Amino acid sequence: MARTLSPRGQLLGLSAPALVFTVVMIAFPFGYTLWLSLQSFTATGMTRFEGLGNYGRMVSDGQFWNGLTVTFYLYFLSLALQLFFGTVLALLLFRAKKLPGIVRSLFISPFMMPPVVAGMMWLVILDPSLGAANFILTSLGLPPSTWLASPGLVVPTLALIDSWQWSPYVALIVLGGLQALPPSVYEAAEIDGASGWKVLWRITLPLLLPTLATATILRSVDLLRFFDLIYITTQGGPANASTTLNIYGFRTGFEFFQLGYASALMVTLSVIVLGAVLILNRMRDAVAW
Amino acid sequence: MTLPIKKACGLTAALLASVALASAASAQGFDWMAHKGETITFLANNNPVATAILKYKDDFEKKTGITLKVDSYQEQQMRQRLLTVLNAHSDEVDVFMTLPSREGRQFAAAGWYQDLKPYTGDQTVSPDYDFGGLGKALVDAAVFDGTLTGIPLNIEGPLLYYRTDLFEKCGVDAPKSIEDIQKAAEKIKGCSDASNVTPFASRGLKPALPYTFSNFLHNEGGEYMKDGKSALCSDAGKKALSTYANLLKDYGPPGVVNYSFYQLTSLYRAGRAAMSFQSSNEFPSVMEGGERLKDTGIMPLPAGAGGSHPTTIGWAMAVSKYSAHPETAWYFVQWATSPKMQAKLALEGIAPPRAAAAEDADYKAWLAEEPVRQKWQEALQTLASDGTSEVGYPIVQNPESREYIGQAVDDILLGTADVDQACANADQQLNALIERE
Repeated sequence: MARTLSPRGQLLGLSAPALVFTVVMIAFPFGYTLWLSLQSFTATGMTRFEGLGNYGRMVSDGQFWNGLTVTFYLYFLSLALQLFFGTVLALLLFRAKKLPGIVRSLFISPFMMPPVVAGMMWLVILDPSLGAANFILTSLGLPPSTWLASPGLVVPTLALIDSWQWSPYVALIVLGGLQALPPSVYEAAEIDGASGWKVLWRITLPLLLPTLATATILRSVDLLRFFDLIYITTQGGPANASTTLNIYGFRTGFEFFQLGYASALMVTLSVIVLGAVLILNRMRDAVAW
Repeated sequence: MTLPIKKACGLTAALLASVALASAASAQGFDWMAHKGETITFLANNNPVATAILKYKDDFEKKTGITLKVDSYQEQQMRQRLLTVLNAHSDEVDVFMTLPSREGRQFAAAGWYQDLKPYTGDQTVSPDYDFGGLGKALVDAAVFDGTLTGIPLNIEGPLLYYRTDLFEKCGVDAPKSIEDIQKAAEKIKGCSDASNVTPFASRGLKPALPYTFSNFLHNEGGEYMKDGKSALCSDAGKKALSTYANLLKDYGPPGVVNYSFYQLTSLYRAGRAAMSFQSSNEFPSVMEGGERLKDTGIMPLPAGAGGSHPTTIGWAMAVSKYSAHPETAWYFVQWATSPKMQAKLALEGIAPPRAAAAEDADYKAWLAEEPVRQKWQEALQTLASDGTSEVGYPIVQNPESREYIGQAVDDILLGTADVDQACANADQQLNALIERE
């Protein structure tokens, strides 16, 4: 006769895979990074215990503060653009119910493209001398732009590229939210004679807030760790104007081989991401209905 | 400190002569199939050199019975993987490509290279290998603290590609000095036959530009370090910084601050640059499609106040200190750097580090097909005879030093600092880096 496990045994058995996964894939790498952040590495791989020295170094490191500023500038700008365009696209797709499936798929396809491919594509399009973007501008009689090569324009340009790629993802989330809205509210609004604009501002958008909060959390995690697109297009330039904390940490670790300091930078970034997620989670709870 | 290549020749002559003698005596017992059935892993930089070598991968496996596993990445990703593997003392990689001028000092100090000197002198050398035929200066540039860290795969350096047709139309002579470049650029800028053409282009991307800037610095009579201190603020250093940055600022393409080899090649090949100071390695890419074959001249950077000191570097093939099969790995290194292979690579535009390869009949015929190929070869010979391999600071943290050099140039280029501020900022950071070492 087969033996049955006790409830405690079943609990342990069933949760073991998740527990092992969490320890091996999350807890260990993070713990190891934390340990590395307390070490000092020479260029030849020698280590020495540094304590909190690497964290102290950040305070007086101008590059760290520049990285933090760029990270948040890019984060807020990209997030705002993606929430705006994502919501607009979702509203359009929601209303255009007769749109063929292929067209709907095309609308949402950019986020399926690998970021490296997207980066290379935009690098070619935005090339100030040979790119299509300046060709179009000059054909319309407008002055050409230096796009990614201008310290003042590089972050807005990166935010636009990222928004081109990820707004459709936000749109998908918002579309799901729109489809779940209670029809009774709209019927009541129609009976009351509310205009379309009023319905949008007074009913749709307020009811969509929890969905938008979810989209904000999902995009925040990615945007605060913004890396691939910058690495492909500008490598943090020109003159550090697009060097986010993530890019700075990567270059410090893998190009200059200061793994201890790079780990401290990455632990700090992880804390920022975690803090942002916790705050945004609270906000989502506050707008839930 | 990195020695000028001409001076370095003597230092390696004795080593090469003794190695050649020893090889001749011992090579008779050499067997290409000695490691049949073994497997090695090659970490390759996905550049034209590796691409050309790997076209013949099957030949190697057939000749030796060794299985070659290839791990290929773009340059930066390759280094990232290499640092991780070597720092972990892992045997995952047996052979890898390395740039001695960049990471040679760092990797050698960490003890990550297998010393290849012993392999060149015992029974593991094929009779036709001719170690002594490799460019002595490049071999010497790969020796750190007596350790032969790699075997040269190619020779390369920045060269000035210029449009002979536009020069003729605009009445400009080929530049004979750095000052002439500025004069030529000015004339081309105002020339109606060259409208929509950038007068001068070179690297502006911060970590990439020391490769081209170093030639300006040395030709202006400057050096990176003097008496153990950073010397960017010397008169020659400031002259080189302002000349390079202002050439790009006044005559360069829009967005040059992000320019590396890819953009330079695209711009010149498309006929949108009158002068492009870029790598000799890019010659095959620049000539792709054949549009620039008939209207291009090639020369080393003209002399400056300090004479002519072209930058000459090369990729090398190295064996990991932690390889479980160093002898097998050496067979691959030996095969890839053999006279026969390098003659084959030369036909694909990979400049050979062996003088004999330039005398190869097939290579000569290939050169003779187009005058521009001959010009390219002549410029490479100048690099081989007069070049220096100093790109960035001759310190273990050479890669980081390049960051500050690039920053100084870009500060001037973008107008965020004048030359005095830019070099002072760079010197401060570089001296801190030197002190840390």
